[in-house]
Amino acid sequence: MFKKFDPSSDVSTSTQVKASVQRALKSQIIESHPEITEDILDELIPKKSPLVQFKVGPHLMLYCRKVEKEGSSPSDEPIFFQQRDGPILPALKLVHHYPTLSFKRVTVDKGAIPYLLGGANVMCPGLTNPGGEMPPDGKEQDAQGFDVPGVAKGQGVVIYAEGKVHALACGVMTMSSADIREKNKGIGIEISHHLGDGLFQTNEI
Amino acid sequence: MLERQEMIYCGACGMPPEYCEWGPDYETHCLPWLKKHHSALFEELAEKRGTPAASAGDAKDEKPVKQRPEAPWTTEQRLMEFYKQYEPNKLDNVPGLLEKYAGKEDKLFQALTKKYGPEPDDPYYDDSEDEEEDDEEELEEDMANVTLSAADKKKRRGAGAKKKKKGDGSGPRVVVQKRAQNKRRILTVIMGMETVEDVKLKDVSKAFSKRFAGSSSVKDGVPGPSGKSAKEIIIQGDHLYDVAEMIVDKFGVPDTAVFLDIDGDVVPLR
Repeated sequence: MFKKFDPSSDVSTSTQVKASVQRALKSQIIESHPEITEDILDELIPKKSPLVQFKVGPHLMLYCRKVEKEGSSPSDEPIFFQQRDGPILPALKLVHHYPTLSFKRVTVDKGAIPYLLGGANVMCPGLTNPGGEMPPDGKEQDAQGFDVPGVAKGQGVVIYAEGKVHALACGVMTMSSADIREKNKGIGIEISHHLGDGLFQTNEI
Repeated sequence: MLERQEMIYCGACGMPPEYCEWGPDYETHCLPWLKKHHSALFEELAEKRGTPAASAGDAKDEKPVKQRPEAPWTTEQRLMEFYKQYEPNKLDNVPGLLEKYAGKEDKLFQALTKKYGPEPDDPYYDDSEDEEEDDEEELEEDMANVTLSAADKKKRRGAGAKKKKKGDGSGPRVVVQKRAQNKRRILTVIMGMETVEDVKLKDVSKAFSKRFAGSSSVKDGVPGPSGKSAKEIIIQGDHLYDVAEMIVDKFGVPDTAVFLDIDGDVVPLR
């Protein structure tokens, strides 16, 4: 999504996010990443300083926060993005800078790393091979008593790699983790943002 | 609670160092950079990667210690080294080969590299090569200086009219001014932006209107005495300081070249 992304030409309008929208955003993040609490998120996005929303193309929103710098004018640092009504995903720099911030995470095996760095989607075997990891299925039951998969279809996840400390991509699940384990074929996660892409190279807008 | 961790990104490729190895210039740029700036992390990563990388790192350590031979290899030595590396059991053939190819050694080595691979490096040339590289770098720097000064000249020519009026000699000179449109409506006017290299006034104006969410336009200002028209950028609203800082940050104008016009007094920005 960000493979060819240049903030000077691809970003169109910027608007300050209304407080109510910001609240909605936060609750959406908390809902999809249950390990992140409201307090932590408030610290990350203070209520006082408003988020700035940039439009990238027709369907992509980039949420930035103001960064005060000494001796120069404040600039906007991208922290989250959202495509259409998809999940809200963090920018990788943000994930790197706050290692205690625990988004829903999966791990891919070593062999997948170079492909991911090139921007390929994650194929199922990358998650099921030894070295790959996904949250366990069936830990919880839904209201009807069915097992809830570790990660549902359409959920946004941050992708780590076997043996590496830092995240290397984030994307959207195209199957639930249960399906991935069962079918073990085809695209498991669609990558939206990976190391070395245009968004990663953008420090400020 | 939430802790911000400073990240180290590779100075050569911009990736976190643990992902450098998939980049294009891993051995030539990333490794040396990491070793120079974060040696602790370098060792940690080398250990993680296991022996091959560690030994590669060690080899680099040894290199400066290695003694430089007195003279470059003779043809015979060169051939010996070649066979030592690729086909040790044919070492005995060397003298025979030399005789056979006497006078056309070039062809021999060409054929050998074609068959086996690149020639082993002569340690005699190791250091001298490095020196050459340094020279090249210096040369490049010199070249950059030359082109820069040439650019300066061009700049001076473009902004001649304005310069003469202000009595200032060289380089860009940008003046930011407030102008009242009405009693309460204020415009911010930037003059001399055309003296800055490599920017288009229209783009600059667009950037301002984006940043300050207001109208911004390029207008012809009062022409200087030599008849050369001076352009000015007019932004709606009072953004005197913000504009000045943005000119410095975004368009790379040295802050000594940016001036604020405060009620008729032209003062430098910093």
